[in-house]
Amino acid sequence: MPIVWYVVVSALVFCIGTYGVLTRRNPLVILLCLELMLNASNLALIAFARQHGNADGQIFAIIVLVVAACEVTIGLGLIVALYRRRLPIDVDQMNELQG
Amino acid sequence: MNALLAVAQIKGPHLDWAGLSPLIALLGGAVTVLLLGLLRNRLVRRICVPLLTMLVLAAAAGLSIWRWHHAATLVSGALRVDDLSLLLGLVAIAAAAACVLLSLRAAAPAVAGEGEYHALLLSTVSGMVVLLAAQNFVTLFLGFELLSIPLYVLCGSELRRRGSLESGLKYLIVGSVGSATLLYGLALIYGATGSTDFSGVAAALSSGSLASDPLLLTGVALTAAGLCFKCSVAPFHQWTPDVYQGAPTPITAFQAVATKAAAFGIFLRLFDGALINAQPSWGPILAALAAITIIVGNVGALGQSSLKRMLAYSSVAQAGYMLGGVLVSTRLGLQATVFYLAIYLFMNMAAFAVIVARERETGEGDDIAGMVGLGSSRPLLAWPMTLAMLSLAGIPATAGFIGKVYLIDALVDGGYAWLAVVLVVGSMISLAYYLRVVAAMWMRPSAGVAGARPIMAGGSAEAPTATRLSGLEVSVVAALFGAATLVFGIVPSPLLSLARDAGKALTGIF
Amino acid sequence: MSATTFGWLILLCPLLGTVVIALAWRWLPGASAGWIATLAIALSFGLSVAALIALLGRHPAHRELSSTLWSYASSVGLDAKLQILVDPLSVFMALVVSGVSTLIHLYSVAYMASDRGYRRYFAYLNYFVFSMLLLVEAANFLLLIVGWAFVGAASYLLISFWYRRRTATAAGIKAFVVNVVGDVGLVLGTYFIFKHLGTLDFLKVFAGVKDAFAPNQGDLVAGCVLLLVGAFAKSAQIPLHTWLPDAMEGPTPVSALIHATTMVTAGVYLIARMHPLFEHAPAAQDVGAIIGCLTLLIAGTIGLAVTDLKRVIAYSTMSQIGYMIMGVSVGAYAAGLFHLMTHAFFKALLFMAAGSLIGAMAGEQSLDRMGGFRKAMPFTYVCFIFGGLALSGVPPFSGFFSKDEVLLLTANQGGWHWILYVGGYLGALLTALYTWRMIFRAFHGEPVPEALELERGTIAHGHPFNPATGEQEDTDVGFPGPEHHTAERAASMRIAMAVLAALALLGGLIQIPHFDNAISNFLRPAFADSSLYDQSPSDTLLVVGLVLGALLGVLGILIAYRVWVQRPGTAERVRRRLAPVHRLFVEKWYFDELYDIVFVRSGAAIGRFAQLSFERVVVNGVLVGGSAGLVRAGSAAVRALQDGLVRVYAALLVFGVAAVALYFLLQSS
Repeated sequence: MPIVWYVVVSALVFCIGTYGVLTRRNPLVILLCLELMLNASNLALIAFARQHGNADGQIFAIIVLVVAACEVTIGLGLIVALYRRRLPIDVDQMNELQG
Repeated sequence: MNALLAVAQIKGPHLDWAGLSPLIALLGGAVTVLLLGLLRNRLVRRICVPLLTMLVLAAAAGLSIWRWHHAATLVSGALRVDDLSLLLGLVAIAAAAACVLLSLRAAAPAVAGEGEYHALLLSTVSGMVVLLAAQNFVTLFLGFELLSIPLYVLCGSELRRRGSLESGLKYLIVGSVGSATLLYGLALIYGATGSTDFSGVAAALSSGSLASDPLLLTGVALTAAGLCFKCSVAPFHQWTPDVYQGAPTPITAFQAVATKAAAFGIFLRLFDGALINAQPSWGPILAALAAITIIVGNVGALGQSSLKRMLAYSSVAQAGYMLGGVLVSTRLGLQATVFYLAIYLFMNMAAFAVIVARERETGEGDDIAGMVGLGSSRPLLAWPMTLAMLSLAGIPATAGFIGKVYLIDALVDGGYAWLAVVLVVGSMISLAYYLRVVAAMWMRPSAGVAGARPIMAGGSAEAPTATRLSGLEVSVVAALFGAATLVFGIVPSPLLSLARDAGKALTGIF
Repeated sequence: MSATTFGWLILLCPLLGTVVIALAWRWLPGASAGWIATLAIALSFGLSVAALIALLGRHPAHRELSSTLWSYASSVGLDAKLQILVDPLSVFMALVVSGVSTLIHLYSVAYMASDRGYRRYFAYLNYFVFSMLLLVEAANFLLLIVGWAFVGAASYLLISFWYRRRTATAAGIKAFVVNVVGDVGLVLGTYFIFKHLGTLDFLKVFAGVKDAFAPNQGDLVAGCVLLLVGAFAKSAQIPLHTWLPDAMEGPTPVSALIHATTMVTAGVYLIARMHPLFEHAPAAQDVGAIIGCLTLLIAGTIGLAVTDLKRVIAYSTMSQIGYMIMGVSVGAYAAGLFHLMTHAFFKALLFMAAGSLIGAMAGEQSLDRMGGFRKAMPFTYVCFIFGGLALSGVPPFSGFFSKDEVLLLTANQGGWHWILYVGGYLGALLTALYTWRMIFRAFHGEPVPEALELERGTIAHGHPFNPATGEQEDTDVGFPGPEHHTAERAASMRIAMAVLAALALLGGLIQIPHFDNAISNFLRPAFADSSLYDQSPSDTLLVVGLVLGALLGVLGILIAYRVWVQRPGTAERVRRRLAPVHRLFVEKWYFDELYDIVFVRSGAAIGRFAQLSFERVVVNGVLVGGSAGLVRAGSAAVRALQDGLVRVYAALLVFGVAAVALYFLLQSS
């Protein structure tokens, strides 16, 4: 299978993730969609690594996995903090700061 | 460690401990501070933790100064420590030190835990140091995230205040979109060039055959957008005002200065280093973005009553000015950008320190009303604020003036005279909101009621109404950075020569 | 320590004085501000002497020392440095400026003692001395311009020191505006020179001027004439002189310091400093010489007619500076600077004595109301006599030697310069006349009530009326105050006046032709590249000049004595017979009216027209209104987009990415 298809799939995943971030109101779901965006990049990296025949992309992808995990952890932590303060878990109601 | 690796029959990279020493100091310090913060003793948490953090920062600064003029490539070419990364790293370290001082009596560390708060601060700084020295995409991304993730937490660290949590979560969501965009861009550049090293990318681009490769160009576009996001360049700036306003003020001060230094540092390295051969394709679009940024930032700052929000928009505008220095891709532009980043530290820190002081003294928060009559009641706070405002506006005899002159010089020299005109027009608009603050401090009498308002909600009328003093260290930070703004406006040459040294770090530009 | 170190310290002392008084004024009790300021300037004087000694210890060929403290910025070929030049000329000027300033500070300690603005006054005064020293020590055009503008600002602050007086603020504004005209001239002149030589450094400019320009080349002449405009504005030469008489609104010690001895001589210094340029552009030199001669005559005639005591001395200052300008413009540098020095002594003395007299008159300055103070104020009287004799050029007083040397060297140029020579001696006669008219009217004749009161031992107390307009004054800050007047009783005032009186008597002896040439010998290294410096006029001319000068001075005094003492009615008869001429003099040759019509009224008319038509419609309506509206609308738009919703931010981010990516992809095809 030519490498271009992998890239197309990764681009599709990236766009789906973006769409999700833009449309969903629950921060948990938004975090999931952010994961999609990051993993789209992973897919592309691994595909390109295969194409160029070097391991750089694969190493990069593994490191991205770790970083993505950290990011989600932080996100969850903040959501828990919101929950504890009985604040709405809805990004559209977080608009105290504006103007 | 090398011995251990040799036993395991794995060929590890050669490690230059001296070159890595500032980073090691910061990371080691972060762990130690975190552990020290676990002690329950109040004295330890209140005094020892900030003290240790300051020591760690001092050590990192000292080691950075020690490595000055010792350019070296480390860890198999993953990092490069040279005068550029050291100087901007020192800016970040200085900003962090000021942040520690401003946080001494702040609510955020007490709520979030002193150990955690300071450890996160130190890890952010180490992320900046990594980012500034990055020589391949992996370290770039790693540094970028090591910088961002602790900052998300720090912004939300005042857990009891809704604004702080909101700013943290907003920053996380929008920031992650920015990171993902950057990452995808890096992946595409890797796909087009077959290398994650800056040098490899530059080599692949130098042949010229890739100049119109859609894969590469899309990658450059996404990467530029990701970095612009971190530098708060419009239209990727929108997180800035909300996050700056919501975050605890010491953190706002820190990230306004340090994040900008780190992000522009990597901008310079990536675009004026690895991607220099594609300059004809990215130069004009960055110029357009810079112009939009200058206008949006300055226009948005008008009419803001929250000083933090005003300074956030002002920082957007300043990012536009500095982007001008990046996009001309000349040594003059590089020096001008580095110089501006350095003086940006002084003027912004002075302003934020005064805001911290007034937040604690009045009940007005960071509202401009808290500044009324400051000139007669607290001249030692009013002067640094005045200097900072005048310097941000670029009035002669302040450092900001020299910085702007150099940027304009670089722009005209690099063939972007029209952008220089936009810069000047933007500065003219900016006078409207900077001078409003100055006018509030000096030209209106102090309204006696400011101190009479209860400082906390629920404070009784019998509570002593005398102004609560904000602590010596805040005034010291304000005075120090305010004085630096003035001194480097009159004697800019020491700083200029540092910027010139830093400017020699990149070899591909002239 | 080297001479340049002293040079920097000379600047530092008054600057520190200013800063200390300006920052700590709240905590400075009583007269301490005055003493701090005096001490700062005295230190500066001591350091000037030290610099002089250090300079004399060097070989004459190595007495031009330049020192750079730091380079401000080196951008686009402009070398902006904080750099001073210590050479005989600058040290000479620093000595005169700091020396006379010390005495005037000393005088002011008592004179201003009861003024509410006492500390402000001394902060300003120190700031002025700092600016003036910066001006004379500057080693490049940039710093010269800075010093030049600073002294203008200091002068403005001090003229309008009593800021509740409308006449004082108006005079301050007038002085500032005229001075800015001069500043513009100086800056433009600098531009012409910079354009050809590419440097602002004095020494480099002087070294390169002969290669860069042909003699009398258009650009050089233009540059020099523009520099002259700067010099004329500062030194109150025609046609930029109108501000000086009005500047007498300031406190009298200020008139003595700024408007008689230091700032107004900056133009003389400028021409002397720029002599390599001027000698290469003789056309510009001629302009200077002619204007100087015209000024000395016109100012002399006006001085004969005005009745305000301080204004008489002010016109006398203009006239004397005319001599100096004429001198340095014909290459009589040492003589011109020598006259600058002696004039500083006797003119400061005259102003101080006038201050004492005005004090006794409770603020009244009109000669018409004075008379008979001889017995009441013997000390002041003697001071006036000394100053008057020196000013009239009667031997052996200092003015005798310096004025005649200027005229001698003018004549030595030959040709049409003889006209200037004759004009100069005519001016000398006028000088003696107006000086002694002033002295006789104030001190002889019937004692006025104030004089009688003073003889009885009390000082007349004035009413809060502006002596110039008679309008009621605000007695709060900005008014001299009823206890302002101390006459000649304070010790510090007497010391300052006595020292100056001695200098007015003896100051001329340091440069006597054929006997000692201390000043020309000392200044020679600074003028090493001048072809005009060492002229040797014939001894016949020298003797004729000296005798003529002395005779004219004595003659003037005798005429004045006859007209104003022996036959008091004569003046009135002459005035009636020559009514139109007198009117011309009293109205100051109608310069103010001419400027009012040409510049002020026509400018105002054009302005009104522009305001009605262009300003209101185009500027206010379209440009300002339009752009302000645009900015405001932009602000509203930016803030509307900033609605606090994360998803909107993310959407805009994505759109931004899409737009950038689209741009790149369009490029690839």
